Amino acid sequence: MANNIALAENSKKQFIVVKIGSEQYGIDISYVDNIVRMQKITRVPKAQSYFKGIINLRGEIVPVMSIRTKMNLEPDEFTDVTRIIILKLEEHGVLGIVVDEVKEVVTLAPDEIDKVAYDAKNVKSNFINGVGKHGEELISLFDTNSIIDEPEMV
Amino acid sequence: MDVSQYLEIFIDETNGHLQNLSDCIMTLEKEPENMDTINEIFRAAHSLKGMAGTMGFKRMQRLTHDMENVFQEVRSGNMNVTSGLVDVLFQCLDAIDAYLENVKESSDEGTDDNEAIVQELNDILAAGIGVEKKEPEKKEVPTEQPGDEKYPKKYLDMEFSEKEKEELREAESKGMSIYGVTVFIQKECLLKAARAFLVFKAVEDYGNIIAYNPSSQDIEDEKFGNDFSFYLVSEEDLARILEVSKAVSEIGEVVGEKIKYSELTAAAEKKEAAEAAKAAEVAKQEEEEKQVPAAKQVPATKKATTGKPVTNRTVRVDIEKLDALMNQVSELIIAKNSLVAIGSSSDGGACGANSQAFHEQIEYLERITTGLHESVMKVRMVPIESVVQKFPRMIRDLSKKLDKKMELYMTGEDTELDRTVVDQIGDPLQHLLRNSADHGLESTEVRRKRGKPESGSIHLNAFQEGNNVIIEVSDDGNGIDTENVKNKAIERGLLTPEQAEALSQKEIIDFLFMPSFSMAKKISDISGRGVGLDVVKSNIEALGGDVEVKSVLGEGSKFTVRLPLTLAIIQALMVEVRGEKYAISLGAIETIEEILPEEIKFVQAKEVIHIRGIVIPLIRLDQLLDCEPEEKERESLTVIIVRKGDKVAGLIVDELNGQQEIVIKSLGKYINNSSKIISGATVLGDGEVALILDVNTLF
Repeated sequence: MANNIALAENSKKQFIVVKIGSEQYGIDISYVDNIVRMQKITRVPKAQSYFKGIINLRGEIVPVMSIRTKMNLEPDEFTDVTRIIILKLEEHGVLGIVVDEVKEVVTLAPDEIDKVAYDAKNVKSNFINGVGKHGEELISLFDTNSIIDEPEMV
Repeated sequence: MDVSQYLEIFIDETNGHLQNLSDCIMTLEKEPENMDTINEIFRAAHSLKGMAGTMGFKRMQRLTHDMENVFQEVRSGNMNVTSGLVDVLFQCLDAIDAYLENVKESSDEGTDDNEAIVQELNDILAAGIGVEKKEPEKKEVPTEQPGDEKYPKKYLDMEFSEKEKEELREAESKGMSIYGVTVFIQKECLLKAARAFLVFKAVEDYGNIIAYNPSSQDIEDEKFGNDFSFYLVSEEDLARILEVSKAVSEIGEVVGEKIKYSELTAAAEKKEAAEAAKAAEVAKQEEEEKQVPAAKQVPATKKATTGKPVTNRTVRVDIEKLDALMNQVSELIIAKNSLVAIGSSSDGGACGANSQAFHEQIEYLERITTGLHESVMKVRMVPIESVVQKFPRMIRDLSKKLDKKMELYMTGEDTELDRTVVDQIGDPLQHLLRNSADHGLESTEVRRKRGKPESGSIHLNAFQEGNNVIIEVSDDGNGIDTENVKNKAIERGLLTPEQAEALSQKEIIDFLFMPSFSMAKKISDISGRGVGLDVVKSNIEALGGDVEVKSVLGEGSKFTVRLPLTLAIIQALMVEVRGEKYAISLGAIETIEEILPEEIKFVQAKEVIHIRGIVIPLIRLDQLLDCEPEEKERESLTVIIVRKGDKVAGLIVDELNGQQEIVIKSLGKYINNSSKIISGATVLGDGEVALILDVNTLF
């Protein structure tokens, strides 16, 4: 019995809930290295359009990506609550993504996550691999690895 | 203890021996009678065999063993060195090298037995001395293994702790036998500890080792002479134990016998009782040992050198540790830069004396960090020798294969470069040399007709020039036929004939570095250069360097490879373009000019300026870097004149921010940087990030 509970606890995942536009998105906390305030981003000429540039994170150079641009949303507007989420991805190193606001950390059990079908027509859905139900709210869960993939050139 | 910890040493030393062998065999080819060289080869082959054996690489051991056999005969004058033999020996080296490559990749030698080479070696051996091939092995044995009397039963001298005695007694009472064993390692053996380990591993299959002399820790640390003793309790026969111990390579002799516990303790008691007498005896024995001439190579005489071998004055350091050190130095420089920034901004007359002292200390700190940086860089520098020393051999092989006579002349092998650069420069250089040998040099007949010396010469010169290291590969061959190249380019639709006419020699030669261009040349089999030169170029550019070619048709060509001395930290000029900060390596900068907009002239619809008799093309950095255009043209423009080889260009920038030591950091993999204009980024003193412009890409 006790084992079962432990098992259930283990399969639960924690997500950082962020706001991008009007929607809430969840990022698997195991990929998150750090959350930093908005700071000066140095533009890199000739880079992909969705890269805002690079920042200095305690002496390390970290590329920062605009998830909005990548999802074909309105360009970012930087406010007091804008944050850069630093993701640490194995093999690929460190990468920052700009979000409008960081809300909270939620724990979701497997039965609270619905898988979503892949929809080639919807650019946004390419980055989502599930929808989490947290109370009344719905949270789109990012597929962290697809965020960094190059969008397919059509 | 595990053999794998010796793998690196093994790889390193095998490389060394291989190189040594290669050099010696080259010498031998020219001077077949040179006894010193023959001896040297024999020694190297022997060491290789021993090391391969220790590490358990049986195939490698076998091959080197057969090589050694051949040299044994050559050395004793029973055989002459023939060109056939030299060829086979080179094949052997290649085979060993292949084994070594396998070892590097998978810690295993691979499965290629190289039967053909072994067979050839043995054939040569048989033909050379006219006896069956087993002979030399036997001959070798007596010289290596003198009689038994030279192997004292040292295990008898061992003393035991109470615990060990207890264990021995217990084992005997259980019906197991106690064996005292002394193992003598050949004196040429390089990895004694590894061998001892293998012996222990082998015998522990049959029983337990109770006591060691010297202690197991000392054995592991290689703090022993050429012998060690141990007591083993086992149910196996003594013969079997001795056999497995001897099976470990480079073990000279193993002596041992079955001993009863009572005898042991009796001996110990007797020892105590007759201590004084014993001491005298030991002294006498030692004296005797000392008198034995070193040439006899009695292991016991090595007693004096017991303990760690005298350390060399160099230290082997993992390159990763150096990288870590370098990173920390980089951090330190960034921290220093921020102090400098604070110092220069807060001098608003707060407190005069303090500020003065502060600046002095900052300057002091600056000197220290610069010194530290230089020292660390020096540590990372290695001579390019390690890369270029394999080239003479390669040219020799090419000479045979292509049936052209050629000589390679090298200078500046001691030129030093950063380790990471040296590691990667080998392939491009090899490519250039092959190119010269294959495509550059004409065949012997053509050379004769042209009145050139029959033997072509290829020069490889390395030297330092400012912050760069230059490596030139030149030949006195045919040179590049630019007409051919031009026609080829037109044929491939890369140029119209009209365009082709307007091109300079240089621009035409640059076609050779285009990726698909070379392939076409190869297929169409037009004589000339171009195979894989694009790879050479991209490899060298990846290291932050560049390649240039100069060629005179009929007289030869020269490839000049320019490499940066250091990779991580450079002196740079900080510039601003529309408020964005960029760094330009000082090494590339020629001069800085202030010009008026009216001075800009147009040539072929491109902006140029004419300064001191030179026409310099202008590049507006704001346009190049996709900045917002300025509303109105400035009254005067700041132009940075940069140089790459003999090309110059002027970069128009908005502002100059002075010179700074910057630490180069990578932009990471995410950002698409295919244009390569930005070679990296750096963190400035105030924490801001500036991009580093690679001016080499602008030409």
